Amino acid sequence: MYDAVVIGSGASGGAVAYTLCKAGYKVAILEKGRLIRREEFSKDELSYARRDLITPNLFDEYHVIEERVDGKWVATPTYESGWSFWNGNIVGGSSNLMSGMVHRMHPDDFRLKSKYGQIEGANIVDWPISYEELEPYYDLVEELVGVSGKYIPHQYEPPRRKDFSQPPTKENAVVKLFDKSCKALGITPLVTPRAILSQEKGHRKACYYSNFCGSYGCSSGAKSSSRETLIYPALATGNLTLLSNTHVKSLHSSKEEVKYANVVNTLTGKEKKIAARLFVVAAQAHESVRLLFNSANRHHPQGLANSSGQLGKNLLFSGGGSGQGELHEESLKEITLDELMTTGLFVNRTILDWYFVDHWWEGRFKGGSVEFMFEHQNIISRAVKNNVEEGKLVWGEALGKRLAKRFKEQKSIRFEIFNDWLPNDNCFVSVDESYKDKYGMPVGKLRIEGHPQDIKVGKYIAKKCEKILKKMGAKNIYSSISASASQNLVAGGCRFGNDPKRSVLNKYCQAHDIPNLFVADASFMPTGGSVAYTWTIYANAFRVADHIVAYLKKENT
Amino acid sequence: MKRRDFLIFVSVTGLSPSIQAREDNRFKKEFAKQKPIIKAVQDHMFPKQSNIPSAHSMQAIEFLLQTIAHKSYDKDIRTFILEGARELNRREKGKFLSMSKEKKEKSLRAYEETEYGRVWLSRIMTLTMEALFSDPIYGSNMQEKGWRALDAYGGYPRPKTRYLEDV
Ligand SMILES: Cc1cc2nc3c(=O)[nH]c(=O)nc-3n(C[C@H](O)[C@H](O)[C@H](O)COP(=O)(O)OP(=O)(O)OC[C@H]3O[C@@H](n4cnc5c(N)ncnc54)[C@H](O)[C@@H]3O)c2cc1C
Ligand code: SF4
Repeated sequence: MYDAVVIGSGASGGAVAYTLCKAGYKVAILEKGRLIRREEFSKDELSYARRDLITPNLFDEYHVIEERVDGKWVATPTYESGWSFWNGNIVGGSSNLMSGMVHRMHPDDFRLKSKYGQIEGANIVDWPISYEELEPYYDLVEELVGVSGKYIPHQYEPPRRKDFSQPPTKENAVVKLFDKSCKALGITPLVTPRAILSQEKGHRKACYYSNFCGSYGCSSGAKSSSRETLIYPALATGNLTLLSNTHVKSLHSSKEEVKYANVVNTLTGKEKKIAARLFVVAAQAHESVRLLFNSANRHHPQGLANSSGQLGKNLLFSGGGSGQGELHEESLKEITLDELMTTGLFVNRTILDWYFVDHWWEGRFKGGSVEFMFEHQNIISRAVKNNVEEGKLVWGEALGKRLAKRFKEQKSIRFEIFNDWLPNDNCFVSVDESYKDKYGMPVGKLRIEGHPQDIKVGKYIAKKCEKILKKMGAKNIYSSISASASQNLVAGGCRFGNDPKRSVLNKYCQAHDIPNLFVADASFMPTGGSVAYTWTIYANAFRVADHIVAYLKKENT
Repeated sequence: MKRRDFLIFVSVTGLSPSIQAREDNRFKKEFAKQKPIIKAVQDHMFPKQSNIPSAHSMQAIEFLLQTIAHKSYDKDIRTFILEGARELNRREKGKFLSMSKEKKEKSLRAYEETEYGRVWLSRIMTLTMEALFSDPIYGSNMQEKGWRALDAYGGYPRPKTRYLEDV
């Protein structure tokens, strides 16, 4: 029997498996996806960015998205809409595909309610842990998993003990123009920390600026995916059994403990049971919740770990939106068009000036962070995006002219805003017997609605960002802020907290109801902070793993 | 589209190999019928003498067939591609192919005025752009002519197989 079974091999599952294997425990990872090795990845846009090849076919496995339309809740299966909520189902999970822009959460994000008070219609609570408790694990991720960057002190930059040990990834000359424009506006540009190695380290090579990073696997090992940084080293201990193509349908439990996982081999369809002393769910927030619902039994009729009725509630995405502008040769000044057009190099700029806002007119509120980057360099999608003028398709010779101009004479610079997606009663995961996947299990049904405050904050920040683009000389600037869900940034649904009546997990992400059940991914988060989640996901999973080691030791004695 | 009932049924039983083969056959026959219409639309949208290679020179119609026949392609959209071609020709009383360039332009712009036609034309355009700008391994974008026309080369390494096969 394994000491622990970990469900999901992504950022969170990898961190737990690594820690337990290093501590000498026998671990099995159950991962529904297959293994794609470093040398097998390629920059095949059609396969990686335009088809469901590393995520399930939506006709086989899907989600149901419930949104409010004209005052009524309308449920649409994703095989109807094509809007996939799968993010990367291969060994290493979506961490293989991330762009790697990462940040620590600010200390005040851990005590949002005490600091900023309640907002009507939002279920804001303080976290049961503080920044200080997570800080050593943020440090650990920086070293072990790998985050490169450069520390520039800033009032909203979380405190840190020392500078990054790896310098930032290389930057496109456009940063000269960017930094100058920010300074002229009294805005402080910061260097984006990236979960990408700028220098070789151990078995991983440095980034070679391949041009296609987000949505693609990394062929040098530079990207800090769970597969490169945690799964391979865990395998090297001899304590890890990696079971890929193994989809977990449900967990079987008594009143007191989980006994085994019911799994199906995705290639052969064969089912079996896998037993362990302890189970760690790390399937990404919405899928972890679904698994716990689908594991309901007579002892736990509302789903595992759900005596509070809180399972699935307060699902979070990332609030905000994005904007863009075009840089053309005539407005470049300090840099040349050739420099701008150099491929692969990053923009690497973050603004934290509006993380907290205290404005004489707008008031005092929690704001957010902004990342600046080039528009994704995917060729097909850039071409497809540029084929409409005044509501009509452009074709014929006009299309050829338009595309040549679009690709050769300008480059678009983008910003993405990350602000809190306030937890609220209309954003949650449930399951519904009438929607099942090909394995006969109910799929996750996500009701999605944002809080109006999220839009207000997003718009406030977008206006500031548009000013930066304008100062840079960009043309055709636009932004779009909405409550549309960021399907690749998901958290919440298994709140952690000290009160078993109001939370699913305790402060160590152990189910209040079942001591040998842990949830390690972002579903523990009661509020999401205003940065992308992955650094926090990695850090918290290492923290949880340390607690699991202590738990297993105690069980042994 | 009432795909849900179908899906739930199929998910439990799975398609039997013989039904699958029959489906594939029916699709191939129907495609052969609509191929000239689809090709004519592609050629109109991506003509010769443009800054980007023509649909004809890039064999975009072959790419389109192989792409929508592949299992990774949404099967409802596959059906829609064929239906939309049939509908276009029906609107033109079977005369679309024999029309002059000017008449075709008028016909397609009129089709675009309908919601259905707009979505269909946009699909054909997307599939043709996928031909021109995908990795040459997919059979189009020969000698990277599509990429060269735009000075856009994607990234390395390039795929060695289509659709991550053998990966
Ligand atoms: C294109 C893209 C860009 C991104 N960019 C950024 C970024 O710049 N910054 C940032 O912070 N974050 C980014 N992210 C998000 C980041 O990848 C995720 O936050 C992170 O990987 C989540 O970790 P996780 O462990 O919760 O889930 P994942 O890493 O997704 O791992 C979950 C794993 O569980 C498996 N699984 C699910 N269900 C089952 C089951 N029933 N049985 C067995 N296995 C199962 C899945 O197949 C998957 O491998 C990006 C994501 C994507 C897709
Ligand atoms: S080489 Fe660099 S840019 Fe390319 S995928 Fe890896 S980390 Fe990203």
